[in-house]
Amino acid sequence: MQSICRHSSVNLRAKWSLLILLIAGAGTGCTSLGAKPWDHDLLAERAMQVDAYPLQSGMDDHIYFSKEASSGGRSFAGGGCGCN
Amino acid sequence: MRSERSSEIFGSTRSHPAEHRDVSTTFTAMASPCLVLVDTADPLLGAAVGSIVKAEALRIEAKFSRYRPSVVTTLNENAGEELEVDAETADLVDYSVLCYHLSQGRFDITSGALRRVWKFDGSGAVPTQDQVRQILKCVGWHRVTWNRPFLRLGVGMEIDFGGIGKEYAVDRALALASEFTDEPLLVNLGGDLRVSGPRRDGSHWHVAIENVDCPGAAAGMLQLSRGALATSGDTYRYLIKDAKRYGHVLDPVTGWPIADAPRSVTVHADTCSEAGQLAKLALLRGAGAEEFLKAEQVRAWCAR
Amino acid sequence: MQLKASGATGAPTLRQALKVAAAGLLANGAAKAQEAPAKPPATSVDSGVLYYHENGRVQAVEPELNVAQKINEDSTLSLGFVFDSLTGPTPYGAVPSTLPQTYIRPYKIVPVGTLVPLTTSSGGSTVVLLPPASGSKTETLAATSIVPANTYPLDPSFHDTRVAGHVGWDQALTSTLKLDGGVAYSHEYDYRSASASLGLSKDFNAHNTTLSAAVNYESDLSFPVGGTPTPLTAMSGDFKGPDATRHEVDAVLGITQVMSRRWLSTLSYSYADSHGYQNNPYKIISVVDPVSGQPTAQLYESRPESRRKQSVFFENKIHLPSDVIAISLRGYKDDWGIKSVTADLRYRYQITQEYYLEPHFRYYEQGAADFFHYYLVAGEALPQYASADTRLAKFNAQTYGLKFGMPLNKGSELNLRVEYYDQRGNGSPSYAIGQLKQQNLFPDLKAFTVLLGYSYAF
Repeated sequence: MQSICRHSSVNLRAKWSLLILLIAGAGTGCTSLGAKPWDHDLLAERAMQVDAYPLQSGMDDHIYFSKEASSGGRSFAGGGCGCN
Repeated sequence: MRSERSSEIFGSTRSHPAEHRDVSTTFTAMASPCLVLVDTADPLLGAAVGSIVKAEALRIEAKFSRYRPSVVTTLNENAGEELEVDAETADLVDYSVLCYHLSQGRFDITSGALRRVWKFDGSGAVPTQDQVRQILKCVGWHRVTWNRPFLRLGVGMEIDFGGIGKEYAVDRALALASEFTDEPLLVNLGGDLRVSGPRRDGSHWHVAIENVDCPGAAAGMLQLSRGALATSGDTYRYLIKDAKRYGHVLDPVTGWPIADAPRSVTVHADTCSEAGQLAKLALLRGAGAEEFLKAEQVRAWCAR
Repeated sequence: MQLKASGATGAPTLRQALKVAAAGLLANGAAKAQEAPAKPPATSVDSGVLYYHENGRVQAVEPELNVAQKINEDSTLSLGFVFDSLTGPTPYGAVPSTLPQTYIRPYKIVPVGTLVPLTTSSGGSTVVLLPPASGSKTETLAATSIVPANTYPLDPSFHDTRVAGHVGWDQALTSTLKLDGGVAYSHEYDYRSASASLGLSKDFNAHNTTLSAAVNYESDLSFPVGGTPTPLTAMSGDFKGPDATRHEVDAVLGITQVMSRRWLSTLSYSYADSHGYQNNPYKIISVVDPVSGQPTAQLYESRPESRRKQSVFFENKIHLPSDVIAISLRGYKDDWGIKSVTADLRYRYQITQEYYLEPHFRYYEQGAADFFHYYLVAGEALPQYASADTRLAKFNAQTYGLKFGMPLNKGSELNLRVEYYDQRGNGSPSYAIGQLKQQNLFPDLKAFTVLLGYSYAF
């Protein structure tokens, strides 16, 4: 149990650093990253949306929530159903 | 909306020191820096005029955008079907048709499809003759059926008002602002600009012309008291392959860039639309640009 | 490239023609700024029907409908409705035995003297009437079921119908700042849930970067059939405790970055804190004899009253010349000791410009909760928390799927997706005692889903 706790706190710190780094990068203006406004053509397609098929991903999240212990990630971790 | 040609000449106005400052509004529209100057001592009026201009620029940008849902994307997604367009779009189409005839087919709002094979993205890739031949099947106003207000593009074609939209926006924005106030004002959308008249004290607006070879450095100063300035050119978008420079102004008849076009043409005329169109027509003449401008008695500057 | 002569002869020059044309274009003042009839779609409808079948056990059919309507340039209203009907036997949590076992659950309180048929079976159970306490005016009906020897104990009376709806609102505050909010409500015959959420997102770098943050509050009420049992007490036919509540607050922080014209990347972190009734009121855990491994008692499970969950999600979408690949990874951890990793891969192959085929593979692996036990051993001290729900056990799962998509006319798409889910855990732990050595303590779960979807924008 002890070693697991220590290991998990390192993982958490790593996750935090990555997130802060990315936000800081965005804040200082990652102007090297990205595409000119006229090059957003492919990104406008349905398949390239962050959640392209929300009905389908909602159903998947619901099924996995009732069969597995994890939840959250892309969206909220709550369930909204009694299959806890 | 993005202009087919980049505007590398920024008009920037600089008041002489120790004079009162104009009320200025800056914003971004049509992927360009925009500036509105109102020669007034009333900051609220200046700000109000600025927001009128900004709103009109953004309205036109959104209405004719090639990326966000707009009149243009609806037309392009339904190429092959007949669609009815509103009065403003119809007026722009009528104007484009006139320019198409005046340029003997070289100014063509359906030429945007050429972008599919000509990618000026710095990779130096030039399409093959075959690719160009294929894409030309989707280009050409003669493949469009236009019976105002009904427009039908050929299948696979696309329409793009980028070549006239910015100048049109300058004229429209200035008209709206002038209806709102009599104070002298200047509207500059990414280098295409127009003034309502001389400044309050009768003096000129000072416009700096950017040096084509050193962006950011001034090549000269213009004094403007009426009319508009518009620029066409290729300083920022070009390919160099096998030591040959291909400007990004494409000839819709051949599918290849115009040979020996000047690097930029700046025209002065009464309206921004007229100035922009003359600049474009000159550029489309390639080597004959200066001759054309002289024959038409146009006040213009070419850089080669 | 003929040049026209100047106006000396009176004939119109190109320039004069252009002047006239430009004047015509700019003539009509304010009348111009009207809305074009060629409008972008203002209403979008997204619908689907899911069919779910789990190893000859549970079956579910779930239709769902979502409608989004643009109210004006900046705001959209969305409504959604889902109906869920789940039937079929589900594990009790008890261990199988070489002897038959009986399970009991109360389900109704009736006045003393009510005539009740004692041999009805509702989904495989038998109804029994429990003798009332002396002086009581009511007696309890309970359902009992007998599980044969060497069979994994499944509760046959499981059926669940759920109805849920949500209302959402999206509002663009500026060209780069957007606000969104929603409320949702879900109701089953033994559970209801209400939640509200609020989110904000901001674009930077010419819409190449988006930062978003959202919070959600959920309030749940459990009112299980037969009441809420006291944890770690023996399974009985008596009516149990009152309704139980649970509250959860979640927050999500995300960043989406356009990496290039063809590549979009998303990273998000979510945190949830839940307090209240976390138990599954129907699940039990067996207490077994330390030598023979035979169950000697069945106790209601017990989970901690609070749970804190965290997850990090990273996804990349890459647009190849015509196909699209989507890869995502999720890491999860909570204070019940559960850790998991999920990897998901989709490849959308464009058969033609319209039709596509999308194979899908998902890999999932989780560790057990600290208080998960396959069974408890008689004679040892009872832990504070214990659950035999295999959902909290250590296992891995793979999903294999294929989706076929067919855009119909402009703005609409019909699609069919078939998936197979295979969950495997350790059914023979090395420490199993007595008869448990020969039993499978983690029956594999195999589920098959078909989802037919239709979306349309007009």
